Amino acid sequence: MLARNVIVRSLILIVLAGYTAFAAGPFVWVAIMSLRTTTEISDNPYGLPFPAHWWKYPEAWFNSNYEIYFLNSVLITTGAVLLLSVMGAMAAHCLARYKFRGNRLIFFLIFSTIILPPQITIIGIFQILVNYGLYDTRVGLMLVYVAMQMPLTVFILEGFFARLPQDLFDAARMDGYSDFEIFWKITLPIGLPAISTTVILNMIYIWNEFLFAVVLLVDDGKRTLPLGIQRFMGDNLDDTGMLATGLMIAVIPVIVAYVFFSERMIQGMTAGAVK
Amino acid sequence: MSVVKLEGISKRYPGTAEPAVDNISLTIDDGEFMVLLGPSGCGKSTTLRMIAGLESISGGTLSIDDTVVNRVPSKDRDIAMVFQSYALYPHMSVRDNLAFGLKRRRIARDEIARRVDTAAKTLGLSSFLDRKPYALSGGQRQRVALGRAIVRDPKVFLFDEPLSNLDAALRTHTRTELIKQYHQLKSTMIYVTHDQVEAMTMGTRICVMHGGRIVQVGKPLDVYRNPADTFVASFVGNPPMNLQPASLSGAGDAAALQVFNTRADLSAEQAARLSGLKGGSLTFGVRPEDIYLGLPATDAARFVAFKAQVIAVEPLGAETIILAQAADGEEVTARVRGTVSVHSGETVELFMDPEGFRFFDGETGKAI
Repeated sequence: MLARNVIVRSLILIVLAGYTAFAAGPFVWVAIMSLRTTTEISDNPYGLPFPAHWWKYPEAWFNSNYEIYFLNSVLITTGAVLLLSVMGAMAAHCLARYKFRGNRLIFFLIFSTIILPPQITIIGIFQILVNYGLYDTRVGLMLVYVAMQMPLTVFILEGFFARLPQDLFDAARMDGYSDFEIFWKITLPIGLPAISTTVILNMIYIWNEFLFAVVLLVDDGKRTLPLGIQRFMGDNLDDTGMLATGLMIAVIPVIVAYVFFSERMIQGMTAGAVK
Repeated sequence: MSVVKLEGISKRYPGTAEPAVDNISLTIDDGEFMVLLGPSGCGKSTTLRMIAGLESISGGTLSIDDTVVNRVPSKDRDIAMVFQSYALYPHMSVRDNLAFGLKRRRIARDEIARRVDTAAKTLGLSSFLDRKPYALSGGQRQRVALGRAIVRDPKVFLFDEPLSNLDAALRTHTRTELIKQYHQLKSTMIYVTHDQVEAMTMGTRICVMHGGRIVQVGKPLDVYRNPADTFVASFVGNPPMNLQPASLSGAGDAAALQVFNTRADLSAEQAARLSGLKGGSLTFGVRPEDIYLGLPATDAARFVAFKAQVIAVEPLGAETIILAQAADGEEVTARVRGTVSVHSGETVELFMDPEGFRFFDGETGKAI
């Protein structure tokens, strides 16, 4: 019996170790390459970083405009996530807590846009931004991200808010609070776990987003990090070493955020799944 | 003064054939503890919510102290409510929960603190003020919910089945605490419950509701002893009143009832009451505690005896419930004091007290 348990556990460990290596391996490899030069990588792609070229990080940051791209990414991501959180929470609150004609129709319309891939909508979005003078602007790109991520945000939050007991809102009404005050003082604080999750999900998506950024931003001074990384990829030659360093600069904030909020994310992933 | 008057109040939800509350009229006097009692779906909670202003009124007039409040928002009705689920704000401490309603009314901070501390002391919550609701027991949460209503110092308190989430022992204890609070506060209270023990022990008057309508209003013991119809007779009282079809024979001094395969002579007063029946069907009622296992020592002659076969015996310690089947096939429940040694299958002789006889119209169910 004991021997059988040992064998079963060992098999499970082997499978888990294999999957971990499969999933984490490429990331570890990029991290190693970020400390090696392109020449070293060409000679030995899988070599270890001895010596470790730490100078590549400030080189990418200061000499390759990474600080500008990083700032642009921070501005656009922060602005979009803020708008998504506030507007998405308000929309979800209305759809979840109020009965009005067309409630489910509006919810369906918002949510149904999630099935549209960006490749279908991008031409129309491009034209709209041009018409409104928002093409090649950070605000324009931010608004596009808000529109693209709103359905998922509303879906997750609506499910969570719908589960809040009606008595809480009745009690707040009897205490004299208006609908708007009830949203800010009751729904938002209680809904923080679900809102945290949408913040993380939106942050990860927007921070890494490439397609809309490359189409809708032209000016180098407005580019985001994913576009900055692309600069290391030439027509004839890729600066693999700097590419890896750029990737690490882009990925580290996301990893930090995920490690910090991972528990809340898992809690919130099922927020909209069960009513 | 806090008089709540409902005149022809109705509530109809869109798309439903029957109204949830149908033309009810009721006056709750100042300082009265009125209990709205009825089964699930009878409209008692809907009525309470209309009084609170949480549901719109489809028809009729609701007034508080002679002011019509149909369209007055709930926050302006000077009413506080204790919800079934307590409705405590989970992200706030007990102190903040108690103060939340007062902050909105722009009451001075010192006054808020004073009211919170007084209510906390009264309800034994002083050592829990910094805790969040999740760290409280069910009974403590219930007290916080009550405290949140008390600090408001309202004209009228509303309770929507506040004890239903508590276990039996805590429910009994909290019931006593609520009665104490009622006597201390001397406020008008309207209490919704489906538990007739709560209704009987807490209310100065009870209002029995069924199918969206008021069936009977009266003092608890009056409703218990003289139910207005068979619904009240069977709903109020545990075990419920025995209700059997019966036939009437003779008239005047010779009037008698045929029930449980035995003949029960009626008093002149009972005969007079039934004289108007004239061939209509009759439902006979007698409470389980008015049926005795042995012949009582005093005034034995008036008791009506009948035989029945015991089906089940439920010894409860202080009393025993006997379910039996009479010779005519009808089931009868008796509640006798103490423990008795009868067994299932045994044939026993039971004795009914005619003073406990109640009569209802066989068709309408109304008391005769």
